[in-house]
Amino acid sequence: MKTDEPVGPDAANHSVPPTFTFGEPLLTCTELVIGYNDNAMLPPINMVIRRGQFVAVVGRNGSGKSTWFKTLLGMIDPVSGTITRGHPEMRSAYVPQTSGIDSLLPLRARELTAWGRLRNWSFLWPFARKADRDAVEVALETAGAKAIANRPYRELSEGQKQRTLLARLIATEADMVLLDEPTAAMDAVAERETMQRLCVLARQRGLGVVVVCHDLEVAAEHADVLLFVDRETSAFVVGDARTVFCHPAFRRQYGDEYCHRAPEGPHRGSDAR
Amino acid sequence: MLAEPSQWQQFVDGFELFRDPLLCALLAGGVLGFLSVYVVLRRMVFVSAAVAQSAGLGVALAFYMGIHLGFEVEPVIGATALALLATLLLMMDPTRLRLTRESLLGLAYALSGGAAVLVGDRIAQESHDIQGILFGTAVLVTPEQLRTVAIASILVMVIHLWWYRGITFASFDRIGALVQGLPVRLLDGVLMVSIGVMVGVCARALGALPVFAFSTLSAIAALMLDLRLPWTFFVATLAGIVSGVGGYMFAYFFDFPVGGSQTVVAAMLVGLAMGARALIQLVQRAR
Repeated sequence: MKTDEPVGPDAANHSVPPTFTFGEPLLTCTELVIGYNDNAMLPPINMVIRRGQFVAVVGRNGSGKSTWFKTLLGMIDPVSGTITRGHPEMRSAYVPQTSGIDSLLPLRARELTAWGRLRNWSFLWPFARKADRDAVEVALETAGAKAIANRPYRELSEGQKQRTLLARLIATEADMVLLDEPTAAMDAVAERETMQRLCVLARQRGLGVVVVCHDLEVAAEHADVLLFVDRETSAFVVGDARTVFCHPAFRRQYGDEYCHRAPEGPHRGSDAR
Repeated sequence: MLAEPSQWQQFVDGFELFRDPLLCALLAGGVLGFLSVYVVLRRMVFVSAAVAQSAGLGVALAFYMGIHLGFEVEPVIGATALALLATLLLMMDPTRLRLTRESLLGLAYALSGGAAVLVGDRIAQESHDIQGILFGTAVLVTPEQLRTVAIASILVMVIHLWWYRGITFASFDRIGALVQGLPVRLLDGVLMVSIGVMVGVCARALGALPVFAFSTLSAIAALMLDLRLPWTFFVATLAGIVSGVGGYMFAYFFDFPVGGSQTVVAAMLVGLAMGARALIQLVQRAR
């Protein structure tokens, strides 16, 4: 199994233990051009997402983040290039925003978590198997959502909703998980807690985690790799906080403030090529 | 002098006459009630209205073809075909035409309604049937209509109960289901075709108005009670059955039109559910 070099201490990112090594490649983008109707939005993308790696995608609205995200999810075809999965049976999961689950939907946290057990054609078996029911209970327990399992999802606080969605994520037993602004409706404390939980999940379960995030400081604090996308300047920058925040395309959009505050540190975590 | 038998006695004595329409109302109400949970939670209430309206146009066209073109088409075939066509059109991505879903719905509803009136004008001898399909005339249901509704109901319920987990996941968290490898297009297609077929065959037998009521108000009543999702489906099915059968009985005993009565009973169930919810909240607060 190919691994990265051991990660050194980095003030910009204290979520990675010094001895942690990223695992096998889960997803490899090779000369990947994203866009709609054969119109490229960004330059060709080359990068690898590995087991245990936490990738935060940042950029302004309309920058191409969602298009890249949807391309990774297989919802839209790339204009050109390839996305290679680490192995054919690789499992992916998607976590919507807490507000992405319709507030009218009369779902309990346990039912929502149980959806995580459905994969491909497994719904043809009309009842949940015992193994699935057990996995749901373990997932609820692990995510700290056991106490709220029978409560309607819509009545939960943002933090509790996020715990429920994390339980579903655990229940999927996915190798790679993609989260679309998971902290969009949260206060600062809940946001930090959620990001920390995601870091722990990435490390302990060897998940590849890709998060679309608008809070640049939180992204820099937790992610192993930042990915800045900007359609206006045709930029796709991958690297640590300093590399990204000090890139001219980033500074053009967000100013110099983030670059000045970005800590010095070795570049690590990314396989941008 | 013999006393006139009570209305109930008359109903019991003539039950054979009422059996088929009651069975039809039970099946249509139940299955459309079940489907109504998807219709309401997926914000497709007006899809149901537009599809029902299209079914009306389908019946009108079937009569028109028989009378003016000498080409016999069963009205139920016309209703189902047009209902399915409307469903498939409404499944299309409207943004490709730079339209919103609401615009497309408005177009489908207005076009099929207007066209039904125009076609109806040219088949005056069958105008009663057109009125019937638009506003409901479930007084008499032919054995063929009952058979069609029964077959469609059984098929739809079997597939929906069997695929319940997949259809609910794909319906309420499309992207999640897609990423987890579920055949979302197929599941979506099954749902939409189920709605199209049931609305088509039931609109021919009962009329568009009660069909619209069963396929929307049943879920609204069930959702008021804030139950778990499977129970919501169960209560919506029950509400559809009560609206269909209860509405028919109400029409019989109080001498009202059947379609209108079924619709009003469905609306009354929503009122009842609202009252029950208020009561539950009151009790919860008191605790």
